[in-house]
Amino acid sequence: MIGKDVTLLGVSVTYSNGFTAVHPTDLLVRAGEFFSILGPSGCGKTTILRAVSGFVTPAAGQIKIGGQDMAGLPPNQRPTALIFQNLALFPLMSVRDNVAFGLEARGVSRRVRQRRADALLDLVALGDQADKLPGALSGGQRQRVAIARALAVEPAVLLLDEPLSALDLKLRQHMRAELRSLQKQTGVTFIYITHDQSEALTMSDRIAVMNGGKIEQVGTGDDIYSNPASAFVASFVGEVNTLPGRIIRQEGALAQVETSLGPIIARNPQNMPLGGSCVVFVRPESVQLQPQMPTNRFQVVLERRDLEGAFVTLRLLAGQGRQPIIAHLPNTGPTHASTSLTSAGFDPQAALVLPQGTLAHTGREDMPR
Amino acid sequence: MTSSRLLNLYTGAFLIFMFAPLVLMIVTSFNDTSPPSVTDWRGLTGKWYAFFWMDEAALRADPVLRALDRGRFVGCFGNSLQIAGIVVPLALVLGLSGAVMLTRWQSRANGLLWWVLLSPMLAPGIVLGLSALVFWGRIGVDAGMFTIIAAQLTFVAGYPMLIIMARLQRQPVELEEAAMDLGASPLRIFARITLPFLAPALFSAGVIAFLASIENYNTTMFAKGGSCTFATEIGAMARNPNGHPPVINAVGTVIILLTVGFAVTHALLQRRERA
Ligand SMILES: Nc1ncnc2c1ncn2[C@@H]1O[C@H](COP(=O)(O)OP(=O)(O)OP(=O)(O)O)[C@@H](O)[C@H]1O
Ligand SMILES: [Mg+2]
Repeated sequence: MIGKDVTLLGVSVTYSNGFTAVHPTDLLVRAGEFFSILGPSGCGKTTILRAVSGFVTPAAGQIKIGGQDMAGLPPNQRPTALIFQNLALFPLMSVRDNVAFGLEARGVSRRVRQRRADALLDLVALGDQADKLPGALSGGQRQRVAIARALAVEPAVLLLDEPLSALDLKLRQHMRAELRSLQKQTGVTFIYITHDQSEALTMSDRIAVMNGGKIEQVGTGDDIYSNPASAFVASFVGEVNTLPGRIIRQEGALAQVETSLGPIIARNPQNMPLGGSCVVFVRPESVQLQPQMPTNRFQVVLERRDLEGAFVTLRLLAGQGRQPIIAHLPNTGPTHASTSLTSAGFDPQAALVLPQGTLAHTGREDMPR
Repeated sequence: MTSSRLLNLYTGAFLIFMFAPLVLMIVTSFNDTSPPSVTDWRGLTGKWYAFFWMDEAALRADPVLRALDRGRFVGCFGNSLQIAGIVVPLALVLGLSGAVMLTRWQSRANGLLWWVLLSPMLAPGIVLGLSALVFWGRIGVDAGMFTIIAAQLTFVAGYPMLIIMARLQRQPVELEEAAMDLGASPLRIFARITLPFLAPALFSAGVIAFLASIENYNTTMFAKGGSCTFATEIGAMARNPNGHPPVINAVGTVIILLTVGFAVTHALLQRRERA
C-alpha cells in the first residue's frame, strides 16, 4: 500500500439549507503522513472528510488526490476509505465478510478475498474472531474490524472520523498506539479527525486546528502547542492562562504589555503594533512559584490545590484585581498550604502575545472555584 | 378504585363485543342445523368441515349440503390463491420501490408522492373497483382475473410500502455509504446490504398483502366480471334467502385458526430475533 497526498484548493462546502459548513480552505496533506484535523464539535471536520471521500460536493474549489482531480468521481471510485464516526459495520455479515466486502465489490474471487481478509484480521489481532457477527464483539474489536475493512481495499488515503470517541480511556490510549503503528506499517496517508487535543498531539505528524468552518493553523504538534497562531488555537489545544492588555513597548521579538498584573514581557511573533489591544497567553506549566527572575513577577494568593497525580493544579489569584491564574507544578508532596501569600511568575519566552479573538470552551471555566 | 373498576368493565364489554360473534361462529360451525344457530342445538357434527372432502354420495345424501356447489367453491378459492400469487410478489416489488424512493431519494416532491402512493389505501374500495372496471373496460379488457389483480394491486401495494419504509428508516444511512465507499455499485449495495436488512419486513409485508388480497371483497366484487374469488363466493353464499349454510362458519373458524397461528409464529420469530 502506498499513500498519496491530498490537496484542497479553495474548497468550501455549503449544505442544501444554505449553511456554509466549510469556508474556502487550502490544505496540503503529504503522502504517507498521519494528519489530524482537530476542532470542537460542529466546526466542519466531518464535512471536510465527506468532501474528500466524495459524499458531499464542494460548492467551490478543487480536491486532488495524488495529483488527480477528484471532481465528479463518486465515493466508490476514489482511492479513499472512510471509517465512519459510528463505524457502520455491516451487522448481518460475519467479521470476515465485512473485511472482504470491498474486495467482493471489486470482483475478487471468494478464496482470494477470504485469504486476504484473514491476513488483515491477523494484522489487527482478530484472527480468531473472523466467524463472529460484529454485534458479538467488544468496542475495541469492532474498531479494529472497521480499520481492517477499510485497509482491505488498499486505499491510498484512510479517512478516520473520530473512531475512538466511543471507547473508554484505557482502550483509547491502547488504540492510539495501534493506529499509529498501523499507519507506519502500511504507509497509507491517514487523515484523522478528533476533538480530543491530546489524541491529536500524541498521534499526528501534523495537525490542522479548525474552528467555525475555517482552518486556523496547520503545523506539528509542538508548533501548535508552543506557537499557536490565534487565540482560539492557544485556548483549544491545552490549557492556558489569558491576560488581556495593551502593548506599550516593543523590544525586538518581545513586547511589553500593560495588564492587570502590571507590565508583562512576552514573545510577539506576529509583530503586533504598539498600542494595540492584545491577549497574553501563558501555559499553566510555565507558571512558577517564587521565581528567580525579576520580570513577569507578581504577588499571588493560593486559592485551591487540586491533586492530579503526577502534577498538582494550583488555582491562584494574582494582583489587586485577583486575576485567576492556573499553575501546574510537579507533585512534590503535600506542601503549599492554602491561602499562603507568595509570588509567581513566568519566563518571557514562555508567554505569547496574540490578537484578541474567540476563545475555545474547554469546559474548565465553569468549574466551581 | 371505582375508576379502575369502570375501566375493567369497559375492557370486558369491549372484548365481549369483539369476540362474542367469533365465539358464536365457532360454536355454530359444530351444530348440526342449518341455517346456523346456537339456541337450537341439534348435536355435535363435523360435517360442515367434512363438506370439503366427503365423497360425492354422502354429499348428495345431505339435504343442506347437496344444494351447494362444491366444485365452484373450490374453484373460486383456487382463483383467490392464483390472484394472491400474482398480487403479493408484485405488491412487494412496487412497495419496495416506493419505500426506497421515498426514504433514500429525498426530493421536494416526496410529500406529494407519499399521498399519491397511499391514496388507494384510503380511497373507498368500491371506488377502486368501479374505476378499475371502467378503465379496463374502456381499454377493451374484459373484467375477470386480470382486472381483479389490477384493482387489488392498486391498494395492496400500499401495505408493503408502509411496512418496508418503517424498517428502512431504521437502517442507518451510513451502512449504505460505507458499502459505497468500499467500492460497491448501487446494485450490489442493494442486494448485499439493504435487502438482507429488509428481509423480516418483506416477510411480514408478504403475509399482510396475502391476507389483504384473499379477504378483499368490495373492490374485487366490482372488478371480477364473470369470475369469482373465495371472498365473493362466500358473499354469494351468505346472501342465501333461507339463511347461509354453516359451511361458511366452518371456513371462518379455519381462517381464525390460521390467523392466530400466523400471529403467534410471527411474535415468536420476532422475539427470537430480538434476543
Ligand atoms: N446535512 C446537513 N445539512 C445542513 N447542515 C449540516 C449538515 N450536516 C452538517 N451540518 C452542519 O454543518 C456544521 C459542521 O458539521 P460537521 O458534521 O462537519 O461537524 P463536525 O466538526 O464533524 O462535528 P462533530 O465533532 O460533532 O462530529 C454543523 O454546524 C452542522 O450543523
Ligand atoms: Mg463529525
